[in-house]
Amino acid sequence: MAKILIVEDDKKIREELELFLNKHGFEAIGLVDFQNMIPDILAQNADLLLLDINLPMVDGEYICKEIRKVSNIPIIIVTSRNNEIDELLSLNNGADQYVTKPYNIQILLAKINALLKRSQNKDTNQNKIDCKEFILNVSKSMIEAENKQIELTKNESKILYYLVQKRGQIVSREEIMSYLWDSESFIDDNTLTVNMKRLRNKLQEIGKADMIETKRGQGYLLK
Amino acid sequence: MKKFKLWKEKVNYFLVLLMIVITIEIFLIPFPIHFMIRIYIFLAPLLGLVVNISLECFQKKKYYETVLETMKELDQKYLISEMLQTPTFVEAQILQEILIETGKSMLENVNQYKYLQEDYKEYIELWIHEIKTPIAASKLVIENNKTEATKSIAEELEKIENYTEQALFYARSNTVEKDYCIKKVNLKEMVNASIVKNKNLFISEKVNIKLENLEQEVYTDSKWTIFILNQILQNSVKYMKKDEKQITISAKEKKNQVVLEIQDNGIGIPKGEITRVFEKGFTGTNGRMSEKKATGLGLYLCKKLCHKLGLKIELNSELDKGTLVRLVFPKNSLTMLD
Repeated sequence: MAKILIVEDDKKIREELELFLNKHGFEAIGLVDFQNMIPDILAQNADLLLLDINLPMVDGEYICKEIRKVSNIPIIIVTSRNNEIDELLSLNNGADQYVTKPYNIQILLAKINALLKRSQNKDTNQNKIDCKEFILNVSKSMIEAENKQIELTKNESKILYYLVQKRGQIVSREEIMSYLWDSESFIDDNTLTVNMKRLRNKLQEIGKADMIETKRGQGYLLK
Repeated sequence: MKKFKLWKEKVNYFLVLLMIVITIEIFLIPFPIHFMIRIYIFLAPLLGLVVNISLECFQKKKYYETVLETMKELDQKYLISEMLQTPTFVEAQILQEILIETGKSMLENVNQYKYLQEDYKEYIELWIHEIKTPIAASKLVIENNKTEATKSIAEELEKIENYTEQALFYARSNTVEKDYCIKKVNLKEMVNASIVKNKNLFISEKVNIKLENLEQEVYTDSKWTIFILNQILQNSVKYMKKDEKQITISAKEKKNQVVLEIQDNGIGIPKGEITRVFEKGFTGTNGRMSEKKATGLGLYLCKKLCHKLGLKIELNSELDKGTLVRLVFPKNSLTMLD
């Protein structure tokens, strides 16, 4: 489990972010004491650092620069300063990503995942998701089951991935669309219907067509 | 320019002197004085006065004419006191003194307001950065507690976020100093960022989005441009009525420019109002419809920011058919469009 260190002085944001990241399969820890930040951050030995710029005592940019001197840890700068110059400055100080508040949480999550994937080189493990009945290979957009391999389109793969993440819960059509839009696939209602139909047909090929159940007026449920 | 007749003021002197000379002549009647001397006594003072008046008027006329001439050429008329030569006669010296004093005092006054405005702008920027933290915190709380109620609050939060953003750019648009940074950016990245930002609006309004030929590099400040795109897209969605809602975003390459076109199939703008949509506070027939709540600021800000960034913005519309907004970007950093 990847360990994420949150350096943020707003208590509520810190706690809610911890809660959110813990829910999404990370081990999130918030830094509470801002006295000796740099040694404290390094001591945590985290896999990724979420760093606010406006901090008490020291500036986030300074911390970023100092940590870069001794560590290669991926750093995402989170700030409410929304301008090009601050962004350039942060990236020059060695930050890997720059996210402005109030952020789109799904995009933040996607950026965290992308950075972790790159830094840990664990592609093979992370990209294959075991769903009991089949294995979803995200990087190849494929379903693998009982010596059968079925190719999915990019959108179908994303939809299935999202349903797998939310397995056992009813997922509304809007939620699925919102997820796809975050990854810049701007599909409309009709396209989603078509995609769902095709996805079911493909699951049919491995005899699992009824895995996705339609809940009228509510959405879909992956059993 | 108005013609000033300086000599008119002096006619009185002449008349008074004439009276005096005539009275003297009358008193002199009983005395046997030579005829020529009488004429001399009559004419000499009058001539002297006329010569004096003429000289004075000529001098003043010359001076004031140069003053008026410089004034005409000056762009900032209040700088006139700096441009004056020291006059040779007292009245103008007094006037110059007064002008210099008033100029100074006005400058101080203006500077005070300039400082106040700068101060206020800084406060607004600070405030906006501060307000983003509670907005971000609220959004996280909502993300961790999804219900119908929080979903509805999230929609309102999004509105708050948009209004704050608008306030930030309004403050930025009013300052002289340059707080943007122009570099090479991918058009598609900016368009995508803007769509993702407004995705909830698009999804709930069931808008179909078509993107064409957006793989282009342009020179601009991406943050500012995304804000401009947000305003345009939010307007498009706001004024839609049809069942099949459609927005097409496409780019065309021209000689030194890239033209980004945002076409919607909304309700359009009445012909007579198209030229006025970029005016501050202009809401038009559409904006006055009760549920729209137009502020008359969105497009005004777009135009202002475009002007600062060196972009061109145009709008075309046909009633009941839709609206087309064109953003023209320079293709290299040296060409600035006006």
